Amino acid sequence: MSVLLAAGVLVALALGIWLGAWFDRLAPALEGGRAAGPMAPLRDWAALLIRDQAETEAPDRMNRLLAPAWYLALAAIGLSVVPVAEGLALWHSPVGIVVWGSCEALIVITVFLHGWSPNAPFPLIGAYRYAAIGLPVMLPSMFVLIAAALPAESLSLIAIVDSQRDSWNLVRQPLGLPLFLVVGLTLTLRGPLDFAGGVDIAGGTSAEESGAGLFLWQVARLATLVAFSALAAAVFLGGPLGPLLPGPVWLALKTALVMALTVLAGRLIARTTPSRMLHVLWVWLLPLSFAHLAVSGMVAL
Amino acid sequence: MTDLAIILLALFGVWTGWRVFRVDSMVRASFALMLSFIATAGIGLLLSAPYIGVATVFMMAVEMLVMAIFMVMFMMNPAGLNPMSMVHQHRLSIGAGVVAFAGLGAAVLLSDLPDSPVAPGTDVVAQLGFELLGPSMLIFETAGVTLLATMLGAVILSSRQGRFGMADHGSRPPGLEPGGAPAGRRPEKGGGHGHGHGGHGGHGDGGHGRASDDHGGEHRGHMSDGDHEGHAGYSPDGAMGAPGPEHGATHRTPAKSEHGGEHRTAHGPGHAPQDQKAADAPQEDAAPNADPHAHHRKGTGHDGDDT
Repeated sequence: MSVLLAAGVLVALALGIWLGAWFDRLAPALEGGRAAGPMAPLRDWAALLIRDQAETEAPDRMNRLLAPAWYLALAAIGLSVVPVAEGLALWHSPVGIVVWGSCEALIVITVFLHGWSPNAPFPLIGAYRYAAIGLPVMLPSMFVLIAAALPAESLSLIAIVDSQRDSWNLVRQPLGLPLFLVVGLTLTLRGPLDFAGGVDIAGGTSAEESGAGLFLWQVARLATLVAFSALAAAVFLGGPLGPLLPGPVWLALKTALVMALTVLAGRLIARTTPSRMLHVLWVWLLPLSFAHLAVSGMVAL
Repeated sequence: MTDLAIILLALFGVWTGWRVFRVDSMVRASFALMLSFIATAGIGLLLSAPYIGVATVFMMAVEMLVMAIFMVMFMMNPAGLNPMSMVHQHRLSIGAGVVAFAGLGAAVLLSDLPDSPVAPGTDVVAQLGFELLGPSMLIFETAGVTLLATMLGAVILSSRQGRFGMADHGSRPPGLEPGGAPAGRRPEKGGGHGHGHGGHGGHGDGGHGRASDDHGGEHRGHMSDGDHEGHAGYSPDGAMGAPGPEHGATHRTPAKSEHGGEHRTAHGPGHAPQDQKAADAPQEDAAPNADPHAHHRKGTGHDGDDT
């Protein structure tokens, strides 16, 4: 049973990765660009896979090879605690949101190592820039998830989904999802919070990557997008709860919705300088998320 | 099965903990320590302490990233690039290690450890919550206030502006060989003044008198304050494998060189050969490293006691 469930989650993850890649290639249409077809991601990946990997001078080989693998693994671990149907998750952790929080923190480290290990200037700038932004983003993430745990009186995601039978957390805690989207943009290295990469530093942490390594990194970013969206769907949109259709289908639909939202937000919001973003994170977002936690606590009481 | 997993995790934790002291790179040391803690967290998870186990991973991941950044900012030699040993105060640390091992070992051997498995269905997370916010409230809050004070201290320490002027005024990085010219980029704005010398002395105008004790007879160039200020940024060169005198990392210039200062804000891992050498023979064999303290006496003014 659990083997079947694991296989199902993995297939869903693979489909989600492909869907996310397609969303990314559809998004330019919003700005009058050309949208690509559903097969475009596969073509791009195949082209990447037949290219050679670039070498750098005196890299940390172990971390360079392992960083994309860790990123992918952390996305999979984060996804494993999300309930796919009512009362059914791959990993029945009583502390599901803490598991997700750990994955978040380790993802920031993985991105840092990805930029640090090639021993090259641009990736290193990206690594430190991202670490500086990623750390303060952990705090709103924590407050938002704790706020979602309050009505459920449990840290388990199954209990959090169960507590949304009457009304979704999106309704009870309207600030939760927007704040959590900031976290998602950071974890998936997108748009306004993509301080690891970006054209201003020639691709940042990925500046020296090519071939299979770059492919795996892109796939891992998309896998994180899927895991983040599934978790956001479970925490704020009731996850597998819904009429008529079976639970996993509802979860898949809501996950796809959050994925599209994240891709859109990454596309439409401009990126500012790291120092200005740090100011926004510490001075505005942190107190906002704390107020969100306080209000949610009072509502739950 | 669980026993085997616990043994393997314990061995992994010990091995990664040992690696912390064998690598010269502060980033590697931080994340080796993190792996050690994660192994401990895995043991906690297997011992039916899910919250403590997973929270350990979370806390340690964030903590070690902060630690890596702070060590790169503040340490004299965060990448193992300069010839100085990162292992110091041998007698004190051996003594502390023996005492800690004896104490913890005695605690394990002498205390009455529970051996009954947790009954299935026990809500251990809720029990832990009631314990933390009930009988153990005082410990919990004391730890919280202590951590808050530490955070404030860290913020104050890392602030460049201070009551006595800029924190990096007059500092300079250590040389690439014992007694050598300070590593770091030569000023671009300084005209010909700093050029043509082996490096630069890096004492500011105001700091001359005070700093001369530290500098010994090692002046190699002169530059004005303004030159230094301009370089307190980020230098991608610091990531290159073998920085020469012209390719060092960011050079900052505090007068109070005993504070170490932030010599390098940028560190790649790429000092593998030196790293290895220093790891194998931290003090005795590595030729340029024969007497790390001599290096200190010559005027880097930092006794390497931070970590």
